[in-house]
Amino acid sequence: MNVDELVRDALREQAAEQHPAAAGFADRVLAVRRRRRTRRLAAAALTTAAAVAVGIAVPLLDSGKKDVRPSDVVDQQKTKTHPDQSPPRDLISVGGTTLAAYYSSQTVKKTETTAVSQRTYYLLNPRTGRYERSPKWSWVAVAPGSTTAAVLERDLPASRIGLLDLASGEVKRWVQVDHGVGGLAFSRDGRTLVATTYSENPDLQPIPKKLKGGGEVTDGTTSHRTGFYVVDVASGKARWSQVDAGGGPGSVGMINSRQDFALTDDGGHVWAGNPSGEIGKEFWDLTGRKVSAPAGDKYLEWFVDAGKSPNGRLVAGDFAGEGWKTASWVVDAYTGKKTKVRGQQLLAWVGDNRLIAWDIDKDVKNEFHNRLVLVTVGSNKEVPLSGFRKGNDGAAGRWEPIFAQP
Amino acid sequence: MNAEGLDSFREFVDSRSSALLKTAVLLCGGDQHAGEDLLQNALVKAAGKWQRIDEPEAYVRRILYRQQVSRWRLKWRRREVSVAEPPEGGGRFAHSGDTAAAAELRVVMREALAKLTARQRSVLVLRYFEDLPEADVARLLGCSVGTVRSTTHRSLSRLRVLAPELAALGPADAEEQPSRDYSTVEVRP
Repeated sequence: MNVDELVRDALREQAAEQHPAAAGFADRVLAVRRRRRTRRLAAAALTTAAAVAVGIAVPLLDSGKKDVRPSDVVDQQKTKTHPDQSPPRDLISVGGTTLAAYYSSQTVKKTETTAVSQRTYYLLNPRTGRYERSPKWSWVAVAPGSTTAAVLERDLPASRIGLLDLASGEVKRWVQVDHGVGGLAFSRDGRTLVATTYSENPDLQPIPKKLKGGGEVTDGTTSHRTGFYVVDVASGKARWSQVDAGGGPGSVGMINSRQDFALTDDGGHVWAGNPSGEIGKEFWDLTGRKVSAPAGDKYLEWFVDAGKSPNGRLVAGDFAGEGWKTASWVVDAYTGKKTKVRGQQLLAWVGDNRLIAWDIDKDVKNEFHNRLVLVTVGSNKEVPLSGFRKGNDGAAGRWEPIFAQP
Repeated sequence: MNAEGLDSFREFVDSRSSALLKTAVLLCGGDQHAGEDLLQNALVKAAGKWQRIDEPEAYVRRILYRQQVSRWRLKWRRREVSVAEPPEGGGRFAHSGDTAAAAELRVVMREALAKLTARQRSVLVLRYFEDLPEADVARLLGCSVGTVRSTTHRSLSRLRVLAPELAALGPADAEEQPSRDYSTVEVRP
């Protein structure tokens, strides 16, 4: 292929994707023309008035009630990609789905036998469009729209939840809680927050013991999950429900030491993964009463961040690749019918048929050498959004994304 | 403009604005908002002379190109490459045989196109999107054929500098021509 052929293809492809002009474009043009003419008349009258130095009232300008909107009404959701940045420095956003924050983790030794996996967050400053290090927080959940985040201070479990204004970096409100909180998740509409309560730090892990003959052994992790709060974001009112860890606090092996709750997309139920359970997850109503899986939610996977598509019809599923050929499942929320989509791990929906995912470099056979990409259901296309992550899982500088819906 | 003129203006805009918007957005390097502004301004100008214009589409297109080039004269620059829509969407090129590498290359090309000056981009849009011969491009932009040729050559070279990923591609015909036309000219006494 020649460079001019590629120019031609790129231009035609770009043109084919354009939205049609907004309805009523002609009237908008005519309204702009009327307003400009009125301004010219007014300016002419003003000049005359100055020249003769007598008080002449300037004709009243068009009040602007006619449709003279700036012409940026067709699509306000721009795409910003930075395939050269890892971790990202500048805003990454596709179709309104925004990389609102990312974090890196490091293991901090607490005692001879325990350590804490501690996160350092980098939050998007919506004013500058850049990610800024925010070392104060041990947990951050970003509300849809990327303007507000719910935060927990260092040393989990925390005794209060902060509602942070991302633009100013100020906590606008603190919600005090009686039961220590270790994790937070917003509802799809951003009006409700579910806070998972723990009696001990859920990120506390046993340090593997070295064996004399070589190798190492790790004690089983224990869960200290106690229940959840459902918090009304507008009023700050919080209601706690006790939900034990499936075997009681401190029980071994039933669930992960951190196994946070989340709200279903309709906001009607709370759910969490249950790796050793029959269907791998559990559901409760908002008062903590156990319920069976709601229709449309039974294919949710707690370890797949993307969850359900905004229209609720598709659920992002597990890895579906083979060998070095990566792919993921997308599952019909009601029938369970599976479709393959590109991508190693599905992270966030962009509208109802595209997703942001991790995917590996096809030339480098390393499952950890991956970058953010945009994939489309029913298409083989993949568009890079970030640079490749370096190091293996758990390596210093390895970053994990947090996306917010529009 | 009388009532008849208003009707024909509305009819023209309703039927042609989507096609014109495609060109306008391409001229603005994929910036949908800037493209709409450009088209809106061109149509406002056309509306002022509507009943005296014989070929409205050609007239509006000429304003689009010239306006865009004059923006370049004002040193208008984009600070950030942004695309109104992600580079996908099931357009006519989203056929199943399309490899990811080719799609990626087109994305790279798009980003590089957005970084060209408005004049360079306008020449490429006219040559490769509108498929116009050099003489027509020259007439539309109000310059010589030699200028069109040299601008095309420089624009393609610039794309290679902006996007090293394009290095593997073969040269375009325009790149193999000298940037200046040194061919002999018959001089008549």
